[in-house]
Amino acid sequence: MHNGKHKLYAELGELARFVENATRTLSQASAPIASSCAGLPAATAHLIDLSKMTEDGTLEVMRLTEMIQENRSRTLKELEAISAILEAVDCTTLAQRLQKTASGLAQDDKLLMEIFTALSFQDLVAQRVKKLVGILNDVQNKLMELVVVFGIQEDVNGAAATGKTGELLTQLEASKTTAMKQTVADEILAQFGFN
Amino acid sequence: MPADPNMKILVVDDMTTMRRIVKNILKQLGFANVEEAENGQEALQKLRAERFDFVVSDWNMPVMTGIDLLRAIRADAQLKAIPVLMVTAEAQQANLVDAIQAGVSNYIVKPFTAETMQEKLQKIFK
Repeated sequence: MHNGKHKLYAELGELARFVENATRTLSQASAPIASSCAGLPAATAHLIDLSKMTEDGTLEVMRLTEMIQENRSRTLKELEAISAILEAVDCTTLAQRLQKTASGLAQDDKLLMEIFTALSFQDLVAQRVKKLVGILNDVQNKLMELVVVFGIQEDVNGAAATGKTGELLTQLEASKTTAMKQTVADEILAQFGFN
Repeated sequence: MPADPNMKILVVDDMTTMRRIVKNILKQLGFANVEEAENGQEALQKLRAERFDFVVSDWNMPVMTGIDLLRAIRADAQLKAIPVLMVTAEAQQANLVDAIQAGVSNYIVKPFTAETMQEKLQKIFK
């Protein structure tokens, strides 16, 4: 009877030590996690800034491109008018030279349009940044929960890849690896009778 | 029936840059009567308030997505005949099939060129 109690106390003591050690370990872990958490809002802010900077830059390039497009459009109309007058007064050679210049300007317009459409990279970058910001916010919230409830050990085996974070990561990964080309989209559209 | 250069077009995208790109391309293609909306809900309000002949919409938008806008348009007796072109980076095959099932008129994958837009317009308004 006495031995049984002694054994029980010994086991309870061992259990108490184990719990104390576990609590200490978790307490020690909470400091670096809290520190990591503190850095996440800054990372999020950097990403948002990045998105804003690319947007501002893109809009400025667009503004200038549109100005050039408008100037060229006016010049083209002017050249066409001059060319018509020259033809009317039988200055065919000069009229032809002007038409050739106008044709060159039209080619440049095509290039300006390509510059404009190439700026759609900003939209694609912004969409990825948005997803990354979502992931960072989610990770931050999860880490804060871990710090508060000391439930760190439950999350070591890749739990971060589940829930909202997992969903966002999957979306981000999918947008990188399964991006469809227009040709593939057209093939699928054709299968559905879009000709 | 070829596209009427005076037709009223609604460009729906939450990104200012994309709206401007689509507007610029449409202008270069001869379509100057273009209005904008930032999301599906705003687009739907505009569509119900005034007559539009064509909608160019993004997929991923806050408040109301492009696919929800498309479904709302097709479910509305007054709007269901409006052609809807999706211009989106949401480029997985399942998305495209969803859009087709919802009644999309055609689909452009970002990034795209003016030629692609022109080709799709010709197909929609042939």
